[in-house]
Amino acid sequence: MSAASGSILATSSLTMRFGGVVAVDNVDFSLAPGELRCLIGPNGAGKSTFFKCLTGQLRPSSGSILFDGEEIGGRHTHEIVARGIGIKTQVPNLFEGLSAYENVSLAASRRNRADRAAEIAAEMLELMQIPEIAGEAVGTLAHGQRQLVELAMVLAGRPRLVLLDEPAAGMAGEERARLAGVVRSLAGDNTLIVVEHDMDFIKDIASTVTVFHRGRIFIEGHVEEIMAHSEVQEIYLGKETNAAA
Amino acid sequence: MAAFGYWRGVALVAAIFLAILLFVPAWFDLFEVLQMTQYVVLAIYALSLAYIWGFGGIISFGQAGFFGLGGYAFAVISINMGDTTVPFLLTIALCFAFAAVLGYFMFYGRLSDVYLGVVTLVVALIMWKLISHTAGPEYAIGKARLGGFNGIPSIPIMRVPFTDREMDPGEMFQYFMGLLIFVYLLLHVLIRSKFGRIAISIRENEVRTGLLGYDIRRYKLMVFSIGGALGGASGAMWATYQTFIDPNAFSLEMSAKCLIWVMAGGVGTLIGPIVGVVALQYLSLKLGETAFINNLVILGTVLVLLVLLMPRGIVPTLHDWLRKGVALVRQPSRGGAP
Repeated sequence: MSAASGSILATSSLTMRFGGVVAVDNVDFSLAPGELRCLIGPNGAGKSTFFKCLTGQLRPSSGSILFDGEEIGGRHTHEIVARGIGIKTQVPNLFEGLSAYENVSLAASRRNRADRAAEIAAEMLELMQIPEIAGEAVGTLAHGQRQLVELAMVLAGRPRLVLLDEPAAGMAGEERARLAGVVRSLAGDNTLIVVEHDMDFIKDIASTVTVFHRGRIFIEGHVEEIMAHSEVQEIYLGKETNAAA
Repeated sequence: MAAFGYWRGVALVAAIFLAILLFVPAWFDLFEVLQMTQYVVLAIYALSLAYIWGFGGIISFGQAGFFGLGGYAFAVISINMGDTTVPFLLTIALCFAFAAVLGYFMFYGRLSDVYLGVVTLVVALIMWKLISHTAGPEYAIGKARLGGFNGIPSIPIMRVPFTDREMDPGEMFQYFMGLLIFVYLLLHVLIRSKFGRIAISIRENEVRTGLLGYDIRRYKLMVFSIGGALGGASGAMWATYQTFIDPNAFSLEMSAKCLIWVMAGGVGTLIGPIVGVVALQYLSLKLGETAFINNLVILGTVLVLLVLLMPRGIVPTLHDWLRKGVALVRQPSRGGAP
């Protein structure tokens, strides 16, 4: 059992199999309250599957997931979300026909009356620095703006643990810097796990990084230490560099 | 229409329905009143599917299961009780409960959309098969013999609520039309409520709705049960309107017709399926009067043309045309203003 005492999230021997393929393999992972942790790893390393197990979208084959001391492994998504876990998915998952404001207020209205939900929606769009697109249908927005709307939706539910699956994908320059600022500002009051491939973005936001490889935790450590690690470079960063070249 | 607010549009439709309720019995002959009563009953049946499909994303290929169950339940209860109001209410409650039990296994069993459609179809066909094999005298519930393929005759005519007086055809039309207005308004209130918005969000994006913390199974179950209750109510109305019910109420044809009415009128609207019922049933009636060509061939051709020319259905397409027409009329006057 690696479930460190005082951790808000602790998985123990968490395993997810799809037939003969083991996507998440005996993962022991723990996270302190208020921590901001980045997960990296090549495609197929098991990061998104790990997130899906945490949010009840997949029922783990074995192992346990303790959230705030309570077992949530195998519970339904809505029960897990109600306990305080929110997720921004890899591909923005929005209500295309609704406006940005309506999307966020729908998220806020689960726990609040209509007038309070409206206030929270406005606050969240302000926090994301996108109040000017509140009335626009999300189906017409640019990818980066859609990412921010989804993040606003997640935060409108006031989660204690926020899971962000590639939040900076499709963003560049000022937009990415703005997102990094938002994520940094969330840490402390919130606990966050961020899956990301963009190493510059990771350096901007996190100090601790967990590397996934073939469904297992390969190494955990400080971001500079991880980036300097030769095997990590070989399995992940080197591949990325080569691919980019 | 675009200038009308949502509730103004609903109120306008309700007012038109109310005018029909008030004036049809006086202005039309008996045959036409009976014909229109049939449209009203089938409109409520179509709304039962229009609601769950258009506003909950649940497609049922076996909506006739509820229609037939409602018809038979009303027949059995009313024959045994000798009344119609309480049996009508009991029938609605029974169909709601049946839909809730069936829905529980489907939604809590995490059945996906395609399988859900297949299960509803199979359940309706099983009910059709079962009720068709109840010909002997041993198949009776109290005083009501189920009658197998011959069905149940002599079902009590709907009585004026809480009295013993049977309604005449004009009164029955008005009563049923009043129920249609009630159902139409009730569904609009439901759709605009928080419950309704979440049900629509499930239709739009089930995964995200679940990730926002809403229990999608519970919402789907409630939507499906309301649809089942409405389907059952229309079946009961059908049984008392005809004073007869037979296994055809459960048939594939009844389920298919319902899908066609909703599709032709427009999924995602409530007025569309009502228009679909009236237009297609009237067409069937008129084609049935001609002898030179098989009316099913013409009806099939009309349906193919509808799907090709108006893929979103009659009402949404007409709504779009009207909006574009209004925009075209307004454009030159704006530009040409001195």
